[in-house]
Amino acid sequence: MEESEKSSQSTISSFQVFSIHVCRGLALAKPENCSYLKAISRGLLGLPVGALLNALGALALGAPVGLQYFERTISWTLLMSSLTFVPTACVYGSCWTDWHRIFACTKPKGPLDFMLCLPAHGAVIGAWFGAWPMPLDWERPWQDWPICVSYGAVGGYVAGMVGSLALALMRTGGKQLKAE
Amino acid sequence: MTPLTCTKLSVITITGVITQIIGLSLFLFGFFPVKPALPGTSGSESFYPPTCDFVGNLSDTTLPPDQLKSLYQELSGIPPWFDRLILLVIDGLPAEFVLGKNGKPPNKQFKEAMPYTQSLLASGSAIGYHAKAAPPTVTMPRLKAMVSGAIGGFLDVAFNFNTQAMMDDNLLGQFFKIGWKMVMLGDETWIKLFPGLFKRHDGVSSFYVKDTVQVDQNVSRHLGDELRKDDWNLLILHYLGLDHVGHIGGRSSSLMVPKLKEMDEVVKLIHSSINQSQGNRRGRALLMIVSDHGMTENGNHGGSTYEETDSLALFIGLRKHAVDDTSVINQIDLPPTLALLFGVPIPKNNVGILVREAFDSLKEDQHLRALELNAWQLLRLLHAQLSGLPCRNFPCDAFYDHQSSGLSECNHTTENMLCCLYMEAAALYTSWKSKRGFESSSNKDYRSAAAAYYKFLKSASDRLSRRTTYKPVKLLALGLATMFISSVMLSNLMFCRLREMYHGGKKQALNLNDSMNGWSSDETFIVSVVLIIVTCMTSSSMVEEEHYIWYFFISTFYLLLLRKAAQSLSSVGLQSSFLLQKGKSGEGYFRICCVFLLLISGRILRGWHQGGVNWTSLPDISKWLEQAGSQYVKPLQLISAILVISIGLFALFSIESKGKYFQMIRLSFLISGLLVLLHITKYQDFTVSSTNYGATFLVQIIYAILGATTIGTVVALPWLIPLSTSKISPADNTISPPFFPSIQEKFPLVELRDSLYVIGWAYILCWCLLQLLLQQPINTTPILLLLLQTVASVLYFVRSGTHHKEWVEIAGLYYLGMAGHFSLGNSNTLATIDVAGAFIGISNHSTFLSGILMFIITYASPMFVLLSLVMYISTKSMAHLVKPEKANTGDLLMMMLGFPCLVPLVINSILLTAYTVVLLLMQNHLFVWSVFSPKYLYVCATTVCTLIGVFIVAATGSYTYFVLAKRKQKACTR
Repeated sequence: MEESEKSSQSTISSFQVFSIHVCRGLALAKPENCSYLKAISRGLLGLPVGALLNALGALALGAPVGLQYFERTISWTLLMSSLTFVPTACVYGSCWTDWHRIFACTKPKGPLDFMLCLPAHGAVIGAWFGAWPMPLDWERPWQDWPICVSYGAVGGYVAGMVGSLALALMRTGGKQLKAE
Repeated sequence: MTPLTCTKLSVITITGVITQIIGLSLFLFGFFPVKPALPGTSGSESFYPPTCDFVGNLSDTTLPPDQLKSLYQELSGIPPWFDRLILLVIDGLPAEFVLGKNGKPPNKQFKEAMPYTQSLLASGSAIGYHAKAAPPTVTMPRLKAMVSGAIGGFLDVAFNFNTQAMMDDNLLGQFFKIGWKMVMLGDETWIKLFPGLFKRHDGVSSFYVKDTVQVDQNVSRHLGDELRKDDWNLLILHYLGLDHVGHIGGRSSSLMVPKLKEMDEVVKLIHSSINQSQGNRRGRALLMIVSDHGMTENGNHGGSTYEETDSLALFIGLRKHAVDDTSVINQIDLPPTLALLFGVPIPKNNVGILVREAFDSLKEDQHLRALELNAWQLLRLLHAQLSGLPCRNFPCDAFYDHQSSGLSECNHTTENMLCCLYMEAAALYTSWKSKRGFESSSNKDYRSAAAAYYKFLKSASDRLSRRTTYKPVKLLALGLATMFISSVMLSNLMFCRLREMYHGGKKQALNLNDSMNGWSSDETFIVSVVLIIVTCMTSSSMVEEEHYIWYFFISTFYLLLLRKAAQSLSSVGLQSSFLLQKGKSGEGYFRICCVFLLLISGRILRGWHQGGVNWTSLPDISKWLEQAGSQYVKPLQLISAILVISIGLFALFSIESKGKYFQMIRLSFLISGLLVLLHITKYQDFTVSSTNYGATFLVQIIYAILGATTIGTVVALPWLIPLSTSKISPADNTISPPFFPSIQEKFPLVELRDSLYVIGWAYILCWCLLQLLLQQPINTTPILLLLLQTVASVLYFVRSGTHHKEWVEIAGLYYLGMAGHFSLGNSNTLATIDVAGAFIGISNHSTFLSGILMFIITYASPMFVLLSLVMYISTKSMAHLVKPEKANTGDLLMMMLGFPCLVPLVINSILLTAYTVVLLLMQNHLFVWSVFSPKYLYVCATTVCTLIGVFIVAATGSYTYFVLAKRKQKACTR
């Protein structure tokens, strides 16, 4: 019972995060490039695609397979997708060059890229570290898949956000100084 | 700094390896001392004082049991006090439950759960002891200790993990010799330990830990019958249920009180039956209630805490004894006590001493005689174990010379002191004997003689048992330091090599891909893997679940490879869409496919065996298949075997050569492959073990063909391969730099590559076929997947050209081997070693041969990867790294073999050294014997495996090279 509660909680939280992201994506996306409606639809399309990719990655890294884990895995992948994929999908759509630049090469240009790139990487790395306590025999409820992984992902995401914000501020500050 | 030459490199490497071996042996010798044990069994000679020539009196071994029994009685001078023994073993019962702790009575609910036992204790008809058990507190070694009185070192335990017949001198063997009839009900460990000794037995398995009821009912169901019968002298009852209760719910489990009640009922039943039969022809019976070990609060055991070592020993049937505080004895004190109570010689390697209260009912002279026998037995053992014992020769000549030696040398060394104590006791005994007539003084003399004997026995026993746990600090430190030096040497060598290759030759590196410079993500990852593994090994849970770390790392590594492939994919054509499958980016897609193959097969391998300790009960593929039945396993096994063989043969055929020699190699591998398939279909079955003569013969033929073909290929191929005038190259080779022909004139690069390719595949195929033969049927598919993974990694690395540094690739392969080790069902406990496979194809029992087979089975995967390095070398084009103008033999050889040999050695030496430090730090840890020491044995075996593998790679590479170079030279001069 407790587990199903947890998973439903994480589903709710993933939708919350998703909505926040869509809003943020909208704020970031420049109105002259694309409309809000387009951004929202891109985000909605990006959500399942990202969820699928995240699920594949998690399975490759050893996420448990089985019907009893199905619901939990889905919730987790939706959360991960909304942390990593949706923002970029909202902003860049399916533009391969930008995706390649941000995710494959990790060479962000400008504050917008940083805002997209660092939190996403932070979430993935956080989730990776979050998986560490899972095999230990402490017998705590939070060791279950995917609770600690979600905590790790959210933690890494927040760290990435703070980092990108700081970087963006520093960059703009530097530029302003130069301009003066 | 002067550049490394090939000679220098190899000399330093060999020195490093030798240093490592020396250090490891020093450490092992210090940490796991091998205790010298006396061979043979005690006979009538144990009733005579020890003499110098330890040739036992062999005449009594041929005596019939009855005569032997009376001979023993006559010699010992102690009439047996009892005729029958009932040994009630309650597995895992802590003495605290019955006797309380530190003078306090036991927990109220436990006390109320065992009313009958408690009343026996209160009335004084039962005498209870806290019998301290020696670690490891696991059933089998404890049972051995309880019947032999010897404390095994860790290695004894480790090498006897497979419960096999007990060969050492023991109580049951002694009873058997004097013609006792024995009956055993309960844990089948007894039957495995003493096959053929029991007249009747009904074994229960301790495998189903969840079962707490049926295991005990299966014992109790025969109890009434057996108690009514009078044809046995020894009845062993071994109840496992209480241990199972502990494993499920710990000490305070709700099942504990009912279980204790059940045990109390059993005690009541036995005791009342003994009382009824008192005085009739069955004779007096002694009921002993013992537990083999205790349990922690959580119900686990294996370590050395008070809770685990606090086992019970309860004598019921001795003369009534004054109720006093329960005292502490050692578990190993039981065998000598029982031996002398029942009139058999004390087992030869016994370290225990007589339990004082058990002999209170004996007459004074009998008591002293018993003490003397125990003292003689311990003295014999001391002679064997302590070389510096000064009274080594005294029993031969000056036995009564003790007056002259005096007490002056009593306090010098432990050896002197022991000797002195013994002589004092012996002197008091003789003086008591001489004064026996005079009643007045003899009582005082008796007491002082007994006290002197106990003093000697206690210190001798302490000395002997400390010997097995004592650790020489200097030796350990020296061993560790040596290992540390060797690993520093090797790592330093590798860093020099790295600097030379990637930073020294900057100019050269510039015209290669720019990812060659800088510290990329995969390199950071490879280095951090080593660091994280070392850190994790300090935690006992992580050691138990080590496979998760390796799986996690290896799949992360593949994901990093995927990212790398994706990077290069788009650098070829940025705007090219996903639809473009062919053309320039085809290479990139091929690599991505390789990575996907790696990821998928890695995930299947991970799910194949649920290894480790804590989560073994979770479902996995192998369990699922075994449940589904052999109609699914068999076809799967056959398909996998056929696929493995065809992949290997395909690789051998892919080299375009029409030489007869190549055809022969292919043919013989084909034949042995077919023979292996024949063996699989005909003989490998779940039920029938391959003891069949035909099966053994077939397997021996396969061994012979495989061995001959592989060795033949390695030795003869470099001599027979045609020197190239036209280009022959394996299918996988693509890169040929512009200056390639100029080197080719000087060096036989193409031939070298070809012959290494064939030799490498010969190794791989030979190893795979061996594994198909030896591994359990369920492990056939993992072997196929491992082969696929190795081939896919090598293909990926070949296609990616210079995107990855060579050392990263080799380290990745090495990690792949470690992950594969666990996916074949191995773990860090000794229990998962497949012993059954170690006897395939061996017609007569040979420890050495089955040891080798066991090693081959256990280290299938790491060794496989190391052997495939030969193939990997052949696919790498090293030509672009050699400067044509100043290339010489040494340079080329160093390019070729440097990293493939160094990287595994360095990784392994770092892990070995780090793990040695961990073991030293953890030597007082709770789990040192159950978790850390087995892991250390695995680490040592991995070291052996790495050394052998690297040696094979280096030897093959240099042999092939030198032979070809010589031939080339001859061809040029001609």
